[in-house]
Amino acid sequence: MDDYLIGVLSNIGVISFLALSAYLLLLTGEISFGQQAFFAIGGYAAGIATALWGWSLTAALLWGAATGAAAAVLVGVPTLRLHGLYFAIATLAFAEMMRILFELFHYQISIDGEWVGPDGSDGFRNIRYIFENDVGPVQFLALIYGLLAAAVGGFMLLERSRLGVAFRMIGEDEVLAEMHGVAVARHKVLAAGLAGAIAGIGGGLYAHMTTYVEPRIFDVMLGVHSLAYGLIGGLGTAFGPLLGVLIDIGVLESIRTFAGFRMIIFGGLVAALLIFRPRGLLDECVVHRIAGAWLRVWGWILRSASRPAGGGR
Amino acid sequence: MIDFAQNTIDGIMIGSSYGLLALGFTLIFGVMRRLNLSFGPSIMVGAYLGTLLYLNFAAGPIAVAAVTVLGAVLAGIYVERLCFAPMAAGAGIASMVSSFAIWMQLEQAAILLLPRHTYPFPSLTTGAPLTLGPFQLRADHLIMLACALGLSAGLQLLLYRSRFGLALRAIIGNPVAAHLVGINVRTAVLGAFAVASAIGGIAGYLVLATDQQITPMFGMWATIKGLIAMMIGGLGSIPGAILGGLVLGCLEAHSQSYFGPQIRDLSAYILLFVCLVLRPGGLLGEAPTRETIDRRRA
Repeated sequence: MDDYLIGVLSNIGVISFLALSAYLLLLTGEISFGQQAFFAIGGYAAGIATALWGWSLTAALLWGAATGAAAAVLVGVPTLRLHGLYFAIATLAFAEMMRILFELFHYQISIDGEWVGPDGSDGFRNIRYIFENDVGPVQFLALIYGLLAAAVGGFMLLERSRLGVAFRMIGEDEVLAEMHGVAVARHKVLAAGLAGAIAGIGGGLYAHMTTYVEPRIFDVMLGVHSLAYGLIGGLGTAFGPLLGVLIDIGVLESIRTFAGFRMIIFGGLVAALLIFRPRGLLDECVVHRIAGAWLRVWGWILRSASRPAGGGR
Repeated sequence: MIDFAQNTIDGIMIGSSYGLLALGFTLIFGVMRRLNLSFGPSIMVGAYLGTLLYLNFAAGPIAVAAVTVLGAVLAGIYVERLCFAPMAAGAGIASMVSSFAIWMQLEQAAILLLPRHTYPFPSLTTGAPLTLGPFQLRADHLIMLACALGLSAGLQLLLYRSRFGLALRAIIGNPVAAHLVGINVRTAVLGAFAVASAIGGIAGYLVLATDQQITPMFGMWATIKGLIAMMIGGLGSIPGAILGGLVLGCLEAHSQSYFGPQIRDLSAYILLFVCLVLRPGGLLGEAPTRETIDRRRA
């Protein structure tokens, strides 16, 4: 594989974490413009852990997930009673607060005569873990997609569990969910924390992939994009947001002939798509139909396997 | 003390432009119960057309203002047709994401039109600022304040003293019932978008004429400032929009002068966050109840 392809694929994988994070909150019926804040927190935390404290990558990614989750719970509690637009704007305000705080954040220590660490709006350079430990780009790509597969697997289990049903119930109607015995407040804080952890891991991977983070990457644009991915790809399954990322970064950013007109085409396509499919390409209906077709095929395979060869007497 | 007073004056002046942006936002939100993220970028398209006219034909301020407002109205109607009119009831999030996609589209269109990062924008007035005792007042700031007060009063009159306003208030109350009593909901909504975009166009023109330059960041700036001012003042309230703008302007002017631009932006977002958590209805709006939330989510 050439370097360009690896770069694009890594980018798609890392941004997918952010899209999954926004998707999890969409399941519980909340629109967040602020998941990029936890992506940033995870990125800075994991970068500091490897570059400044000399931790291993595994520990750093876990630390990134933990800080992302902790920050998300801290924001989730006061915004618990906000809904719809109010919640969306509150998360936007928080994310922008965090971005500006990172512009004011200086924490550098001298390593081998060189100053390393976040330096305000100049960013955080030299997160060189993967070079110092001879992790090749292909290996790192495998790590990204391994973790992404684990996250999607987690979503698959979630959709089949009581917890996933509770999340979707809250998303449909909070009062009705409460009346059916779902502890709404606890579930919403849990969803916020899980979403924060997913974004935090993504941020940690991002920081180590680019070796460099700066506050202005984590602006509103990134947040609204990650929210849009779920709606473009579909809200029926965790593959929806991944499809959204693939369409945006994979197809459009990679094909350079669109340069200059990329956003005109993409913006128009998305607007047209949402008219016909307001819940995205892979919405609940399509997912249900695919699942039904799969069950029929599987049933046919089982039946033909159990039938004795030669067609009986 | 004189500094404090001067900052407050500057804050009120710049805050009146935030108030105008919030006014346009709140009108669209009041009628549609949906968020139009493309509001700022559609103003920017108008302003870019105005700049094009100024650069190629050395047009005067009135022609530039007229083209800016007209362009903003056309872009606003385009957004309404594509992102709001064809969306089914209950697809509010899809409308919002769709308006974000069109934001990207309009921004790219503006960049294709005028590819450099910064262009000059004709100023409205020339000459030294007026001095009033120890204080300085800029003429274009005074025009901004006058426009904010005049337009908000005009909008209030339009809503409460005209048949069009009556139709809009009926739609705000209950769109289905408004349709049943014979109000053409689609035309009225389109009209509301046009009025809101015109107000936004005027606000955008005044801000750019004061700054005397335009960049592609203007669309995002206008959307964010209008959104913050609207949420602080209270969703759907006309006096609230202006008050929210003035509060935001004063806070920004003071924190800018004492602590610099980063703390200015930080304090605006902190105010917004605290305001939403403690008083979600804003300063003058009503607190969201279960019923209004359900309608707003529609």
